[in-house]
Amino acid sequence: MRARLASWVVYLTSATIGVIAFLYPFFSSTLSDEAAMGMEHANDAPLLLTVLIGICFGALLVEAQAQAGSAKMIALLGVLVSINAPLRFLEVAVSGPGGFSPIFFLIVTTGYVMGGRFGFLMGALTLLVSALITAGVGPWLPYQMFTAGWIGLSAPACRPLVRLVRGEGTWREVAVLALFAGAWGLVYGVIMNLWFWPYAVGPQEQHWQPGTQWTDGIARYAAFYLATSLAWDAMRLAGNILLMFVFGLPTLRVLRRFQQRFTFTYQPVEQAGV
Amino acid sequence: MIHPLAWLIWLAAELAVLSATRNPLYLASAIACTAIVLLRLRGRVVDAPTVPLSPLRFGLVVLPLAALFNALTVHMGRTVLLRLPTPLPLLGGPITLEALTFGALNGLALTGIYAAFIVLNYAVAVRALVGLIPRAFFPVAVVTSIALTFVPVTLRHWRQIRNAQAIRGHRIRGLHDWLPLFLPLLIGGLEHAFQLAEAMTARGFAGAAETVPMRRARTVIAAGLLTLLAGWVLWLAWQQRAIGIPLMALGGGMVVASLWWLGRQVPRTTYRPTHWYPRDTVIALASGTAAAAFLVAWPGWDRSSIFFYPYPALASPGFSGWIALALGGLLVPALLIPPTRYLSLFQSAWANRAILKRDASVQEGQAVTGSPSGIATVAMYPSEAAYPSTPTGEPR
Repeated sequence: MRARLASWVVYLTSATIGVIAFLYPFFSSTLSDEAAMGMEHANDAPLLLTVLIGICFGALLVEAQAQAGSAKMIALLGVLVSINAPLRFLEVAVSGPGGFSPIFFLIVTTGYVMGGRFGFLMGALTLLVSALITAGVGPWLPYQMFTAGWIGLSAPACRPLVRLVRGEGTWREVAVLALFAGAWGLVYGVIMNLWFWPYAVGPQEQHWQPGTQWTDGIARYAAFYLATSLAWDAMRLAGNILLMFVFGLPTLRVLRRFQQRFTFTYQPVEQAGV
Repeated sequence: MIHPLAWLIWLAAELAVLSATRNPLYLASAIACTAIVLLRLRGRVVDAPTVPLSPLRFGLVVLPLAALFNALTVHMGRTVLLRLPTPLPLLGGPITLEALTFGALNGLALTGIYAAFIVLNYAVAVRALVGLIPRAFFPVAVVTSIALTFVPVTLRHWRQIRNAQAIRGHRIRGLHDWLPLFLPLLIGGLEHAFQLAEAMTARGFAGAAETVPMRRARTVIAAGLLTLLAGWVLWLAWQQRAIGIPLMALGGGMVVASLWWLGRQVPRTTYRPTHWYPRDTVIALASGTAAAAFLVAWPGWDRSSIFFYPYPALASPGFSGWIALALGGLLVPALLIPPTRYLSLFQSAWANRAILKRDASVQEGQAVTGSPSGIATVAMYPSEAAYPSTPTGEPR
């Protein structure tokens, strides 16, 4: 009981810290700190954010890997990641369809079927392994792992909704998942831009005027996002929805069958009462 | 090989310098150092990974974009280039040379950061990168290495399925036609995972049950996160820096200490450990000097040239020879990378000799004349070292 409470505390707290961290660049420009307004136009926001995201990520990872202790789960996760990660080659090699990336489909479906912690590891490790094999290790990697992990972690939230529309095993279930994946496709892009946003914003004096609101920062970001990323991310949204509708049902069936096969436990004979 | 940890220290120093200054002279020097290191590495790494986007191209895209965006949204500075009509939300107002410059400098710093990470991708083998995963995340490291090992297997499996379906007359006309390719890949992979799990269990791999102290460590982590959040909220919402920052440090410390303690519980042995040579110490010291020159306010050290700021009116940036000299510390890895061509020639000759020997002993009686197979193996030999980075290569 206490362990479950601790798990929920870790999930909720890290989510809150993550949200504040991603919004921090916006309202830091209105926090008129006397110290930071001095001569040093140091920009410590990226450093602080990286440290905080790193701490949250470490806590979440320890929380999630507690479930993946058995050989079965480790092997399953390893192989699923090895199927999902090379799909990034498509994204890197064929840079045609904008921000479309096929990796989110399996992250959402495995998270939905196998549970949130499994989904978290699936998301984070898919991004890590694909970065290793495509030489894509960069400052964006922690953000990618954190966000993709959250996609998998939040996927079970679709379950009550599916139950509500009585959609288990029908196209209604797929429709719910498609909406979920599509929405995350967009949110992922919004969050991914934020790793360099503190650099694009520059120091606070640059646009601090009397009466500046923190919504002004959001307005700048929205303008930037509309101009540079929206079209790109819309492709990801459309791609996620399309993939879910085409591959969703058969994949869910396969994953459910294997989940039953993977989640057995050995019991000593006398305990089983035979 | 230079130690991965030395590369990480170099990278940290590079990032510190690039985020500490906006002086174009220093930024350009740091980027020049990175470029030289990168060029040296490129000659050396035989099996260089294909980088998705070259730093030059990255810079060509990001630099104008950042300059334009900053100029359009920040209306400060005295040198007005043109005025947009003010009714335009956000964009309306004077477009200044200063804002344009500052945006370009931000883009320059971003380009430098990108280039520094490209160096890391070149310099450190994938195996060494996996080895850097902290001990507390032992299951994660196991999953990562399983996944890296299975990537070539998956790709081979994919080709087999495609060929098998092609023989049956399968052609890809639309998205739906990918289903007969994807499903066998998924099912086959899952079956494979099952066999792998049994093989691991048979060889004695078992996830240890979580002990009570471990569960306690997780509770401490949760408490640490709560403390961290409380401190941050105090700082941001109520401006209580004096209480908030120590609370944040305490919470962060609790999490990090628990992670460290959890890592201590996992015994770890290293196969062929990487040695730390004196040249690694030199790299670490030189990089540290460069970072310290930019971050620490040494007494009697004129740092004013670091804080270049184009507003309110553009002025030429200052320059200090001493700081530039310290910045040169970032160049040290380029000097210490072993002389490339000779080394790789020597290595391949050595490998060739070993392979010829092996071929001769294995295929006794068969003449090894010039050994075309030997040459082919030599060409592929280095890829064996960085095996997971070339998933297209078939495992031999």
